[in-house]
Amino acid sequence: MLESQAREITRRYEEKHAAMLPLLQLVQEQQGYITPDGEQWVAEQIGTSLAHVREVVSFYTLLRTQPVGKYHIQVCSNMSCWLRGCDAIIQYVETKLGIRVGETTPDGKFTLSTVECLCACELAPMVQLNDRYIGPLTRETVDHMLAECR
Amino acid sequence: MPTITIDDTPYQVPDGATVLQACQMARVRVPYYCYHPGLSIAGNCRICLVEIDGNAKLQISCNTRVTDGMNVRTTTHKVQQGQREVLEFLLVNHPLDCPVCDQAGECELQNYYLEFGAYDPKFNEAKVHKPKAVPISQKIMLDAERCILCSRCVRFCDEITKTGELAIFNRGDHAEIGIHPQKTLDENQYAGNVVDVCPVGALTDRDFRFQCRVWYLGTQDSICPGCAQGCNIQVHYNKEREWRPHIADGRRIMRLRPRYNAEVNQWWMCDAGRYGFRFVDEQRLLRPRLRAGGELKEIDWSQAIHLATESLHARLAQGHREGIAIIASTHLTNEDLFLVKRLFCDTLQVPLVTADLPLVPGDHDAFLIKADKSPNTRGAQALGLMGAAGQLTGEQILRRIQQGRWRLLWVFGHDLSARCDEALVRHVVANTDLVIFQGPNHHRFAEAAHLVLPSTTFVEKDGTLTNWQGRVQRIRPVVPPLGESRGEWDVLQAIGQSLGLTTDFQTSEQVFSSLAEQVPAFRDLSYQTIGRQGALLHTR
Amino acid sequence: MTELVLSARFQKPDSHRITTYLHDEGYQAARHVLETLTPEEVIAEVTRSNLRGLGGAGFPTGKKWSFVPTETTKPKFLVVNADEGEPGTFKDRYLLERDPHRVIEGILIAAYAIGAHKCYVYIRGEYDVPLARFRQAVEEAAQYGFVGPRVFGRPFALDIVIHRGAGAYICGEETALLSSLEGYKGFPKLKPPFPAVEGLFHCPTIVNNVETLACLTTIFAKGAAWFAQLSGTPRSGGTRLFSLSGHIEKPGLYEAPQSVTLRQLIYDYAGGVRDGRQLKAVIPGGISAKILTADEIDVPMDFDALQQAGTMAGSAGVIVMDGTTCMVKALWIATKFFAHESCGQCSPCREGTGWIHKIVTRLVAGHGRPQDLEVLLRTAGAMEGRTICVFADAAAWPVQSYITKFREEFESHIQTGRCALDALVGA
Repeated sequence: MLESQAREITRRYEEKHAAMLPLLQLVQEQQGYITPDGEQWVAEQIGTSLAHVREVVSFYTLLRTQPVGKYHIQVCSNMSCWLRGCDAIIQYVETKLGIRVGETTPDGKFTLSTVECLCACELAPMVQLNDRYIGPLTRETVDHMLAECR
Repeated sequence: MPTITIDDTPYQVPDGATVLQACQMARVRVPYYCYHPGLSIAGNCRICLVEIDGNAKLQISCNTRVTDGMNVRTTTHKVQQGQREVLEFLLVNHPLDCPVCDQAGECELQNYYLEFGAYDPKFNEAKVHKPKAVPISQKIMLDAERCILCSRCVRFCDEITKTGELAIFNRGDHAEIGIHPQKTLDENQYAGNVVDVCPVGALTDRDFRFQCRVWYLGTQDSICPGCAQGCNIQVHYNKEREWRPHIADGRRIMRLRPRYNAEVNQWWMCDAGRYGFRFVDEQRLLRPRLRAGGELKEIDWSQAIHLATESLHARLAQGHREGIAIIASTHLTNEDLFLVKRLFCDTLQVPLVTADLPLVPGDHDAFLIKADKSPNTRGAQALGLMGAAGQLTGEQILRRIQQGRWRLLWVFGHDLSARCDEALVRHVVANTDLVIFQGPNHHRFAEAAHLVLPSTTFVEKDGTLTNWQGRVQRIRPVVPPLGESRGEWDVLQAIGQSLGLTTDFQTSEQVFSSLAEQVPAFRDLSYQTIGRQGALLHTR
Repeated sequence: MTELVLSARFQKPDSHRITTYLHDEGYQAARHVLETLTPEEVIAEVTRSNLRGLGGAGFPTGKKWSFVPTETTKPKFLVVNADEGEPGTFKDRYLLERDPHRVIEGILIAAYAIGAHKCYVYIRGEYDVPLARFRQAVEEAAQYGFVGPRVFGRPFALDIVIHRGAGAYICGEETALLSSLEGYKGFPKLKPPFPAVEGLFHCPTIVNNVETLACLTTIFAKGAAWFAQLSGTPRSGGTRLFSLSGHIEKPGLYEAPQSVTLRQLIYDYAGGVRDGRQLKAVIPGGISAKILTADEIDVPMDFDALQQAGTMAGSAGVIVMDGTTCMVKALWIATKFFAHESCGQCSPCREGTGWIHKIVTRLVAGHGRPQDLEVLLRTAGAMEGRTICVFADAAAWPVQSYITKFREEFESHIQTGRCALDALVGA
């Protein structure tokens, strides 16, 4: 099944090598992160060395080599969000979840990260929760957001 | 051809050249790291900055093509400041561990700092730390902190060997060169070249690691004897050996480096050749030896030559030419082989003379590694010592010897036990009255022989070798002969002079001149025409 | 106030659906272009409109298109730079989410002008919702025959492929975007050669920003002259979508002619500084733009005026700072961003961004040294003009402008080891 998806993806591009990112994203979708097997598979699909796949994975922020929790809370920490109080929000989330930035809750439910500008500055301070942008955040909206995460 | 001015001097340069290449042709010093003539342009080190009229900003000379009338300046204050500032950036996170780094003395960071830097450094923060002393193969050590990320090594593995083992991981100042954790460079048979291309001490030879400081090294041009490619090399030897005998346990030869030759090996050489030189210092035969009455004893050269001469004389006088066989070697120089031919074929008319033995099994590829692991097969062929119609091979000769009592077998260099059927060889030795072995190193066959004559190796000889293309190339003596070893043509001439050989050569060059007169393929060649890049044989 | 061109449909329900779009302009401009104009005429009209690249560089769009060689056997590519990443900017996100068909119509016109039959839309990886909306819009357009092997039933083919980014600000630089699209790390490429001659897969390529393409419909619906005068400035055409954020009363997207002043944007459009506070500083064009003080805001927001004022129009991301803002900490935020996003390819940027951030970190922690400001300014200056792309220059500008315009604040941090504002603000 993965093979037919890979072929469909590779066909879109004039050069096979351009399928690197979409194939890595496919692996990550399926496995939760870029596994060593996944890396090997991508290398074979596009005909490049393992080292060159690994360097691409290491370059891009959204490609991970570790799994994340069911809910990945990515708090923007750039200029407008900082001006509108992201530091306080980060501290609050850390306290509520009992973890520091970069960590995952023991039950595997939440991972907390800080990220650079998500280009949603009109919603500052804001987070990306999995694929949704949520903001402006206050303690109340944070509580509400966490409560919705089942 | 466009004309440009560099620092107010006009130069004509080839169309399509870059400004950096033009400066090199004009012998104008412009620093660079990431540029390498054998690799694609990367333009990432940013130190080859020059001023070009019509541009407000400094330009990188490695990626700017010359245009007619271009005005380049390499020594203005703006250029010097640019060079200094780029150098300062390169050294920001550098560990500055020159005292423990092998690259010291041939490091472009050191060199450029003295020539283009000499600034007062302003960096005073904690440096970024990266992996140090990481073995990425049996032969290569990586120090990621010393790396300036010029990407030459990455481009070498991508563009020359097309194997892509090296890559740059991460972003920003955490970027580091490395291999994939599940891989090594061991399968890359040209990996040693990344040490050559690395301008700093990030990639170093484990073979050479901590052996000898480079300012103790002398250098001489030569040819790698590892296979028929004949890659041009430099031999680096310890010229301080007399006063510092503790260095590298007294070894004379420290390392080999490739030497540029557009027709043979460009800038590269394979690992087997690069690291396969220990035999010049290890397991050497130092004195002539004689096995008599079950005892092995050392003798001097006059005794050895006398013995060999007498044996030949005795057998020839009895008309036993058929009982004599000479197995020469394609490791011998053209000069050595010429004396083999002059003595045994022309003067003594021994019918069984050959240099033809089966190939040593080994790799070969479409790049530099040849299946023939000897450097002078074309020379032996051109001199008529192998490949001629009706000529017996060495194996055929050995089988013939096996059939009955034999008088004299003279073997040059080979460990026959390894090259041919070992049982056959034992039988041959037992069957033969006198087995003479003439070669540089100990091995099983040398132990089995009756008379052993120690030879010099390629680093102790002057002479020529002919590669697979028919290119005659010069090897040069790097160090004096070890012990009492002597060159083959010299010994053969000494023996031959009592047997009717009329030559009286004093130098290899004289041997070659005579060879060139007598052998049509070598017509018009001389050490002058061969020079340092070689010259081709004449072929029909 | 302003005649809305780009954001006219943003508040409409189902603004992203093709049915809504067909109800308004409905691909008529693109049809008119393909049916009645030659590519040369299209390029000429866009040149006359004074449309300039709205991703940040402000390069005249018609001129950029004219660099594509007409005589070539290689395929040509149009690449849409939807890798919006400049902090303070969110305009492209709105266009992709709320008016994707306007963008697609612009793609049609641009592709026709340069002779491209393949368009890659590189959307930043974090834009899940905009990507889904845009993908849906492309499918709708294909169903109607506006995209595909025969656009408008004519012998003009256009294939649109959406390519998702993976989180790297540098991929907003057009040659880094191409490297990333080709499947490599987002390393900017050496220029020359320029993308118009040798870009994606070594073929002639034009990279255009989302907002730039969104202007094309109006240029061909209402004419270049009308579009040109809309800006109120002689050398830039049209309106812009200004992103207002930070200590502003009404953060959001505001469309205005480019002659609008920063003061007008802040006080007339977006409600002024939040809670009626005092303005301290404004970043006019995304985080890379040199900062302006409160008495420098009477400048018109077009490319040339802002350049003359010593800063840049950039991506039109306006970040407002009131009196509670510590400029040292603000610089720390900026330098953290640049150190994190430097691709690392060339030495001045790779080492310089890290070095600068380390010094500013010390300053914020109260461990500043007297020579730090000179070192910061000198290092920033040493990065400028020395690198493969302008990321290093962008990283240098905040350092140079914050220190120059708020020097006393920085010196106070160094001398006292504390932020003077902490006492005032009280968290």
